Formats: sequence, C-alpha cells, structure tokens
Amino acid sequence: MADKKFYLLENEISRDKHKNINKNKIILNTKVKIARNIAERKFASISGSQEKNAMLREIRKYMGDSGGFKNFRFYDIKSIKGLQRNLLIKDYMLDPEILRKISGRGIFLKNGRTWPVSSAVIINHEDHITIQSIYPALQIYKAYKEVTRIERYFEKGVTFAFDKNLGYLTASPSDIGTALRVTAVAHLPVLAVSPGFADLLKRIGKIGYRVSGYFVRQSEIVGNLFKVFNQATLGKGEKEILEEMQAICLNIIEEEQKERKQLRKNDLLGIRDNIYRSFGLLKYAKMLSYEEALELLSIIRLGLDMDLIDGVIDFNFFELAGKISNSHIIVDMEISDKPGDDRIDMIRADMIREKILKEVD
Amino acid sequence: MKCDLCHVNEANIHLIKIQGSKVEKMNICRECAKKFYFLDDENFYDDLSRILYRLLDTGSNDYVPEKDKKTWADFNYRRNKKCSYCGIDLKTIQRNRKVGCSNCYREFKDELFPVIKSIQGSLENKSKIPVNATRKIKMEKSLRDLRSSLQNEIIIENFEEAAKIRDRIKKLEKNIYGR
Repeated sequence: MADKKFYLLENEISRDKHKNINKNKIILNTKVKIARNIAERKFASISGSQEKNAMLREIRKYMGDSGGFKNFRFYDIKSIKGLQRNLLIKDYMLDPEILRKISGRGIFLKNGRTWPVSSAVIINHEDHITIQSIYPALQIYKAYKEVTRIERYFEKGVTFAFDKNLGYLTASPSDIGTALRVTAVAHLPVLAVSPGFADLLKRIGKIGYRVSGYFVRQSEIVGNLFKVFNQATLGKGEKEILEEMQAICLNIIEEEQKERKQLRKNDLLGIRDNIYRSFGLLKYAKMLSYEEALELLSIIRLGLDMDLIDGVIDFNFFELAGKISNSHIIVDMEISDKPGDDRIDMIRADMIREKILKEVD
Repeated sequence: MKCDLCHVNEANIHLIKIQGSKVEKMNICRECAKKFYFLDDENFYDDLSRILYRLLDTGSNDYVPEKDKKTWADFNYRRNKKCSYCGIDLKTIQRNRKVGCSNCYREFKDELFPVIKSIQGSLENKSKIPVNATRKIKMEKSLRDLRSSLQNEIIIENFEEAAKIRDRIKKLEKNIYGR
C-alpha cells in the first residue's frame, strides 16, 4: 500500500541530500500557513457535517476543475485510519484539533515532494481553506511564496471573505488581518538553559511573537525543541511579519551560537562528558522511551554541531524525531497488533543505533 | 497620597498620561498594580512597562498567554443577541472563541472589537488584498501604503521624495473621495 505513508518517509533518512540547506542546524524547519474563508458563507467553525461535506465537495470540484491543483492528492480525514491520522498530524505539523469532529474535513497533499518539503491544503478545519507549506531550515520566504502560489489558484475563481478594516476574516479573531502564521522549529540545547533565555523570550513577546515548547510532555519541554511563531496577525502586513520572523530567527541562531561558544570556552570537558554519556546510552540502551530518545539525540546533535563527537553519522534531528515516534514505528515497522510499549521502546533503540552509529557492533 | 484604586495604601506609582492638551493622572499603590497585572514579586519591575501599557491603554503588542483567556472571560455579551446571517449567539462565540461568519464581525462589532484589540494589539489592517477586491479597496490600500512610506521618508529627512509622495497621495485621495 503505497498510500499509507502519504508522501513521505519512505526515503532513507537524508544524509547528503539536504546537506546545503541543512547547514544551519539551529532552525530545523519553517512552516507558513494562511487561512481563507469563502465569502458569504458560514464558517466551518459552526457548520454541521452536512454543510461541511457540501463545502468539501464544492472545493474538491473547484480544485479538480482548476488546472493548478493537478499534483495534489485528496484524502478524506474520515477515511484515514487512526494511526495514520497521527502520522499525518506529525509529518505535516498539523493542529491535533483537526482530528476532532472530522466529518467533512479533508486534506490535499502535494505529490512529488520529498521530505522535509511539503505543501498541503486543509479544508474545513476552522476555516474553509488553510494553505500551508513546510521547508527545511530557515526558508520563510520560499515557504511563503509557495503558499501564495497556491492561493492564487483559488483566487481565480473564489471570492474570499475580506473586510478592508479587518483584512481576511477568519473564524478565530486571533487570526484575522493577514491570517498568516509563520512557525519555525528551533533546536536550542544551550540557549534554553542559559540565564538570558527568559529575557530573550520576553523581548520577543513584546513585539508580538512567541516561543513555546514543540514537544511537551507533562508540561516539560522535551528534546530542547521550540517553536517560534507570530502572535499578531492584525496591525502588521505580510511583509512585515515575514521580515520580523526572519530577523527573530536569525537573532535566536546568533544567541544560541554565542552561548555554545561560551560553553566551549568555560566548560569544554563538562559538555564533552555530557555528549559522550548520551552517546553511551544511545549505543547500549536496549529500550528507549520517546522522551529519553529525544533528550539524548538533542545532545548528540549538539555534539555534531560543535564538532565534539566521532562515530556518529550526521542526521536531521527533526526528521528522526518524527520517525522514532510511536505511531511511526508501528506503521513503518508494520506491527499489526497493538504491541506493549516495551516492544516499541526496543525497536526505537535499535532504530536509532542503525540510523546514527557509524559502526554497529 | 492615597492609592486611587484601594484608597487605603500609600500610592507609590504615579502615572501621568498626556495626550494632546489632555492630562490624566493616576496614583496607585504597588499592591493594586500587582493585582492589576497578576505579577509575582520577582517580575514586578521587569514588567512595569506592561502595567503602564495596560493602565494607559497605549495599545501594546505584548502577548501574555493568560491575557487571551482573560480577555474572553471579560467579554460582555448580551445573552440573546444572534447573528442575523449565521444565527450564532454571543455566548457561543465566547465559549468557542470563534465567530460563525463574516457578518458576525459587523453585527457584534461593539463586543468583538475590544477583544480583537486586546488579542492583536491593533485594529488596523495592513494585510494584502484579494486580487478580486473592488477598485476602491485597492486604491485605499495604495493610499495607506503611500502614507506609511511618506512617514518613512520624513523620518530619514528625504524631503524631496516625501514631496513627490505627498503629491501622489493628494491625487489618489481626489480619485477615491472626489473633491
């Protein structure tokens, strides 16, 4: 069944392919998303499933007739099975809310894209049409360009709900205006524990942007992964939001690098100890929980970035973090029954060894 | 001097807001200021600017996660008022934090705009416009853009360019609003 993995991780974890674009390993990827509603219609937020299904049919028909969506493939969320729904959420960085009240919800995925580049059009989530694009590393402008290209195909035949004073109208007042949300995933192992971090977040907060944990388990941030995104969508133009996000991300990269430099200067032995302890655990552990694996991989990634470790293959942290999640392991390894956590933890430990160790004993 | 809010403690934060010829004074105590912004002691002085923003309503853009929740909790709704287009009532909007259709923004303007202002920090739209927007909206958008670039040119004292932009604005204004 070729469909079951959607587009995606059937390729080998990219070792060389994305080497250039992945040079900067602090911002791991960028997602740009815009929301649009069709004018003179009830929003999907309060439509019943019949209305949503009718809207879905209409948009599907439009997309089928328009020449612009030839390489998109449609999936009805309702007809996707449970675990694969989780994969969809993970791989496309979707809001898990999408899985509630799924009737009449659909997603169009662009074919021919290899991880980690993707484009998707989501129908009837909160708004009628949500267009998003994900690019690896810091590529805000590229992702935005792709999103507006898709938007233009819609604009040829669809009138969007728009008000000159409030901009693009959306179901949630927190999205109106540009209805544009830019999210960058950042790996900040050193900055996150530095004393200046809280202050940096405050400064970012003051200009309408936010930083929060990407993987959060029991209110702990796991794997030093953060998402940076724009809070305000009104009062700023698209250009301004893109520019500010770009500047903030560059700023974050710079701060993380500064802290790493400091760390190298002040406690080289300490950090090397930490890296090799993590290495030892990854190399010999027979079972790894998802959280523990992320924590260890974060430190190994840091070791690679700082050139402090041998015996490890360069890997894409974000990609691997997706691949070693429970739902991915179950689907990718074709485990049919619902296995106990122990078995998943065992497979995860083996998998990581296979992916990142240069020599497997 | 006693605090304006509790009238008990000695006021030790004195705010003066000058707007044009209007002067407003406010004297509050530390305890009331804290209550006003839910601050713990540690962050108190760091966040003084936020207190100022909030007290003086200068339209700050800073985001506090709880602020969103609180904004919606304070949302005033007239119980039975329903949107004439989609039929959603204000109570449901408050509960879901989502409106039902474009018309809700017009119909519930009085209730929604303070919420939007609070969440977004602004009520001024600067987004791009749809390709099939009316000509008037397109011209108004260019007018807004020109006005903001006029400001920029003035700031950098490029008066020659500013004068050109001013003339273009005049022309455009005449076009849109007639004379």
